[in-house]
Amino acid sequence: MPVKPDCEKLCPEWPCDDPFEFKGVWVVAEADENELNEASLQMLTPAKKIASKLGEKIVGILVGYNVKKWADELIKHGADEVIVVDDERLKTYYPRVYGQVIVDLAKKYKPSVILVSATMRGREMAPYIANTLRTGITADCTDFDVDEKTGDVLMIRPPFAAIMLAYIKTPFRKPQMGTARPNVFPVPPRDESRSGPVIEEKAEIIPPGMELAYYKPVKREEVLIEKAEIIVSVGKGIGGPDGVKLAEKLASLLGGVVAGSRKAVDAGWIPPERQVGQTGKSVKPVLYIAIGISGAAQHMIGVREAGRIVAINIDPDAPIFNQADYGIIGDYREIVPALIEELERLKKEGPKAIEELLKEEEEAAAS
Amino acid sequence: MRIVVGIKWVPNTQAVRFDPKTGTLIREGVPSIVNPHDYPAIELALRLRDKYGGEVIAVTMAPPSARQGLEHVLGMGVDKGVLLTDRAFAGADTLATSYVIAKAIEKIDKEIGHVDVAIFGHETIDSSTAHIGAQVASWLGWPYVYYARDAELVEDGKLKVRRQTERAIEEYVLNLPAVVATAIKALEPRPIRLLHKLRAKIEQPIIVWTNNELGLDKRCIGLKGSPTVVANITFMPEVPRKKIVYKPKDPKDAARWLLRQLFKDEAVAPFLKKALWG
Ligand SMILES: Cc1cc2nc3c(=O)[nH]c(=O)nc-3n(C[C@H](O)[C@H](O)[C@H](O)COP(=O)(O)OP(=O)(O)OC[C@H]3O[C@@H](n4cnc5c(N)ncnc54)[C@H](O)[C@@H]3O)c2cc1C
Repeated sequence: MPVKPDCEKLCPEWPCDDPFEFKGVWVVAEADENELNEASLQMLTPAKKIASKLGEKIVGILVGYNVKKWADELIKHGADEVIVVDDERLKTYYPRVYGQVIVDLAKKYKPSVILVSATMRGREMAPYIANTLRTGITADCTDFDVDEKTGDVLMIRPPFAAIMLAYIKTPFRKPQMGTARPNVFPVPPRDESRSGPVIEEKAEIIPPGMELAYYKPVKREEVLIEKAEIIVSVGKGIGGPDGVKLAEKLASLLGGVVAGSRKAVDAGWIPPERQVGQTGKSVKPVLYIAIGISGAAQHMIGVREAGRIVAINIDPDAPIFNQADYGIIGDYREIVPALIEELERLKKEGPKAIEELLKEEEEAAAS
Repeated sequence: MRIVVGIKWVPNTQAVRFDPKTGTLIREGVPSIVNPHDYPAIELALRLRDKYGGEVIAVTMAPPSARQGLEHVLGMGVDKGVLLTDRAFAGADTLATSYVIAKAIEKIDKEIGHVDVAIFGHETIDSSTAHIGAQVASWLGWPYVYYARDAELVEDGKLKVRRQTERAIEEYVLNLPAVVATAIKALEPRPIRLLHKLRAKIEQPIIVWTNNELGLDKRCIGLKGSPTVVANITFMPEVPRKKIVYKPKDPKDAARWLLRQLFKDEAVAPFLKKALWG
């Protein structure tokens, strides 16, 4: 049971609300005319976990212009209902304007939880919403849960050291707000049979105090590392751009993409949008090949969802060997070219070459 | 123009520990530095001042030792430092922190002179929330924008800010006063100059404000003013992995060993086959 706060003890800048009035788990969707961001759909996964534990509804929030059409998509993926503010004056996104619309909706509907995907836009807007509601917000959660005794939502995130998990709650304020990075959660499966109400709201739109004066779309990277099935990831041990070329060759043979550790990004060998880890991206490939990466906790947190991890490292004591499925001790400058050569040969010889490869082991075992 | 730049004094090591009861950082014995992501903010502030005149005031809410951090940025050419330090500020989450910083900006505006822009770094290396810029904008009611890479004054004394997101290159023209948060590594910071250091030594342009000066309600600052509470800290559960480590005879042996493992492993074999032979 939530406890009613002692209003005398609260900061007078905060409203002293009755926590029992707050119901519903909101997912703020990021959408425009052309696209509903998949990262927003992913937030329906933790929303479902929280909502079922609280016994509350999942509500999708759509704010923008020509965005009402996405309501059904949110419902099919798990929202029970959707609140839409569709207004031509919201054609251009301004963080404070969009944020204020959501603040006003939250003041009216009083949700108990607001989840926002930590996309670039989400990271910019969510703290404004939280602060304007004078409530707490926890960034980049990797999981959510509910405290059974108090009904407080637990926002779970690794603090400074990625080996730990902090459980953060917001016991005296509602709504409770949290964000999660894209791809930490899967998109819930689409269920064609689902339907639900779509509530259209009018909102007061504040003057932005700013103006978009120039806009030039940039071509988005073809294969995002978040989507890749096979990732060849390089670390400090790769030593320089030549090592990256080898990794690229290996990746292209495997139909994969190249990513890197923070040290590889800091060295300028890998672009920042390809950094894996706590301050980079979470990835979930079928296969993650880590070359010259030591296995720091802040890196490995980004590959928790990887299917299999291969580590190639010269140092037998590298911590990554203890966190990988298949480890090879050795100099990548020798091993990766050999691997490329073998793969090229296999590719040429066709699937029958696998049998031969596996037979070799039996022979080795027999001798 | 008068520009406030927010900086954070952060522990400089991965070996920090936590107080298992409160979940707060144990800072003792850990050397601190100016948060690296604040340098683009400092650099942007200095460039604006160099171009349009005025002054740059660095503000930090921190323990008294953060004076060193302020001295460091004074060495880069920052004009003044404001150290917000009080035991009552300790244990603050981002809401309570942004409150103190916003109130300090209001006090600077009133007592030192009109503030045109407040610039923050993108995030800190010790908690990486990227909250403070937006929260300060919320307290002050100013327009704001994140991910800035550059800025210049345009007509009517407005500030044009250039930024890049994953979708587009954008330019926003903001009414002042406004809050700007810079992108990570957006601008190369200038080096420390002896001249600036000497000036800072002689002039001592660091103002210390405790809560006596700020006069904020005790319920709004520090732990009490923080709606978020760390309920528990645990070790992260380990992901089960096979942990098979092989020391090969030679590179070819390594390659063939690995491929055998992968082709025997039903979780990856189909994907490899698809990649190699379609
Ligand atoms: C708050 C915080 C957030 C962070 N976020 C991230 C993050 O998002 N992502 C991230 O990656 N890191 C992050 N870090 C940094 C992290 O702690 C590590 O410093 C970093 O991951 C190490 O990168 P690395 O493994 O490439 O380099 P190193 O740790 O230097 O390891 C290099 C490895 O290469 C091996 N090697 C050297 N030569 C060869 C060779 N010829 N062949 C094979 N192996 C070789 C070495 O044995 C060594 O194991 C963060 C740190 C902090 C404090």
